[in-house]
Amino acid sequence: MAKVSFRSVWKKYGELAAVKDLNIECADGTFLSILGPSGCGKSSTMRMIAGLEHISAGDILFDDQRINDMAPRDRDVAMVFENYALYPHKTVFENMANPLKLRGQSTDRIRERVNAAANLLEIGQLLRRRPQELSGGQKQRVAIGRAIVREPKLFLFDEPIAHLDAKLRAHMRGEIKHMQRTLGTTMIYVTHDQLEAMSMADLIAVMHDGELQQLGTPREVYNQPVNAWVAGFVGEPAMNFLTCEVQARRDDVLLTHSNFALPLLPQQVQRLNGHAAGPVRMGVRPDGLSITMRKPSEPVITGEIFVNELLGGDMIVDVQLADARIRVKTAPEFEGVPGEACYVTVNREKWHAFDVENGRAFF
Amino acid sequence: MASREVVHYETPITKALRWFSVAFIIVYLIWTLLPILVMFASSFKDLLEAFKIPAVGDWAGIGVFFEFTPTLKHYNDLFANLNFSSYILNSLVAAGGSAVISVVLGSMAAYSLSRISFKGKNDLFFWIISTRMAPAVAVMVPLYSIFRSLDLVGTLPGLILAYTTFNLPFAIWILKGFFDNVPYAIEEAQMVDGATRPQALMAILPLVAPGIGAFIVLCILFAWNDFLFAAIIGSGGAKTLPVATRELVQPQNIQWGSIMAAGVVTTVPMMLLGLVIRKYLVTGLTMGAVKE
Ligand SMILES: Nc1ncnc2c1ncn2[C@@H]1O[C@H](COP(=O)(O)OP(=O)(O)OP(=O)(O)O)[C@@H](O)[C@H]1O
Ligand SMILES: [Mg+2]
Repeated sequence: MAKVSFRSVWKKYGELAAVKDLNIECADGTFLSILGPSGCGKSSTMRMIAGLEHISAGDILFDDQRINDMAPRDRDVAMVFENYALYPHKTVFENMANPLKLRGQSTDRIRERVNAAANLLEIGQLLRRRPQELSGGQKQRVAIGRAIVREPKLFLFDEPIAHLDAKLRAHMRGEIKHMQRTLGTTMIYVTHDQLEAMSMADLIAVMHDGELQQLGTPREVYNQPVNAWVAGFVGEPAMNFLTCEVQARRDDVLLTHSNFALPLLPQQVQRLNGHAAGPVRMGVRPDGLSITMRKPSEPVITGEIFVNELLGGDMIVDVQLADARIRVKTAPEFEGVPGEACYVTVNREKWHAFDVENGRAFF
Repeated sequence: MASREVVHYETPITKALRWFSVAFIIVYLIWTLLPILVMFASSFKDLLEAFKIPAVGDWAGIGVFFEFTPTLKHYNDLFANLNFSSYILNSLVAAGGSAVISVVLGSMAAYSLSRISFKGKNDLFFWIISTRMAPAVAVMVPLYSIFRSLDLVGTLPGLILAYTTFNLPFAIWILKGFFDNVPYAIEEAQMVDGATRPQALMAILPLVAPGIGAFIVLCILFAWNDFLFAAIIGSGGAKTLPVATRELVQPQNIQWGSIMAAGVVTTVPMMLLGLVIRKYLVTGLTMGAVKE
């Protein structure tokens, strides 16, 4: 078990900087998820921790011990590779037994650990096969199995369940989370699926283009995104963005758009901090909006229903405004029909404003 | 991964082609196997019987070919009087020695070339293989002169060295292909699992073993069948089978019986070797072709 610290870590492949000035403190026993789109440097970060990739600059520390120059085997980590990296000439059993065998465990113990892992992953019936006789999802589970047979200082999971079907994925999310909780081992879990990160992690590191955007709990990342990029990446369906103007009117400060003019809450005015007039990007999640067919008394946004999507327990309504389209989450009983006029109210507690230029969040 | 059950769809053209290939193979087998058959048979015949041939067109007379009383006198002669047992030993040591050295050094070099990137790697690699582009005769004279000043002419180490010079570049070239086909991720996984770098290399050896095995055979074949180096570098102290056989052809007296027996003695070990490792030879030489 270990605390993991990144101190200004860089990874450069020639000219290309894949990871830029990464600073993360991950306390012992934390489930840290690295979240970001394809190519943002997640795997590079993992490979630096595992010792498979040279650290171009900066330090990585396990429990305050610098590990930059330590061989992979001495770091005592267990990794699930993005591309599985199973041993093609070994059976599933031998694949999973390999880490234990290399560390000189007894045959009985190896059998016991491998069987336990195989049962957890529901691959007990595959132990005699070779990797080329497995489906993608089965291979992926073997790769997980090879990592969890041991009790290392640190788990590194690189998109470990990306190739499973939705049901199995949900199941495995629970199993992995439970296993991590029970063992209390620090886990770094890479994913591009924000739902996975949200549902499993204690701490999320959102990365974009090699840069850490935000480090925070799932709640913080969801409710207080530090910039427009994080706000747009996290959350499904995605946040709505509208370019608005800030205008001062008598004792109110208004956010105006061609479809509406709504006053900001006092604490939000404070957060604008001098940005008293001019354009801002307003962002609000579909669940921060509500839609009605009858015009309510409070200030509203007027639009026209573009399309309805029923998602099981929720309905997402696309509303066409004069020059933009927004998505609103509502109950499945909603009866609006595409083409009809509708009224959208904003929960002003839940909206955000971002700087137009650098995307930084005001609130 | 695709299974090995290939689906066949028959059309008139494929049918015709199949018949043609069967016919071709039959002709080809006769063409290649007949001389070997004659060699085998003649080595067990008395000289008089060996030269009994039916008249042209007399197909019924073909039976003459099989009418003989088997004798081992040519083999007896080879080993009792002509010292062939030491020539066999020379051949074995020269071929085996150079094959083992080439493959051991070759796989280490090939592994490094496959795994490590460094400046000038492509040039180095091209230079290695370019040493095989000149025909052997072209380098024979300088090589001989070097070997003579080092007192290596006519010795087994000299011969092994000469074969290694020629086998090693080839080994590096072919074996690099085998290593390239093994994903580096496998070694990375091994190292994370707790293996040292050398242990990780050992762990992937089973994946390249068929290739290495096949290549050892190619090296052995090259050295075993070689005449040029053996005649010039090995002449005298390190006489190998092909050279010894050639010496049975004397101006006044061509010893056909012994030559045939020597041919058999030279051929059989390689055939046995081929049979033993046939399975690996096939998988080894095709393994490099498919990338998964
Ligand atoms: N060995 C390499 N040589 C050069 N560039 C590389 C190498 N590996 C990765 N890169 C580049 O570094 C960047 C980050 O790659 P990385 O594999 O870390 O992304 P990722 O976040 O894991 O993406 P994905 O979600 O698709 O796996 C990419 O732009 C990639 O092209
Ligand atoms: Mg990746």
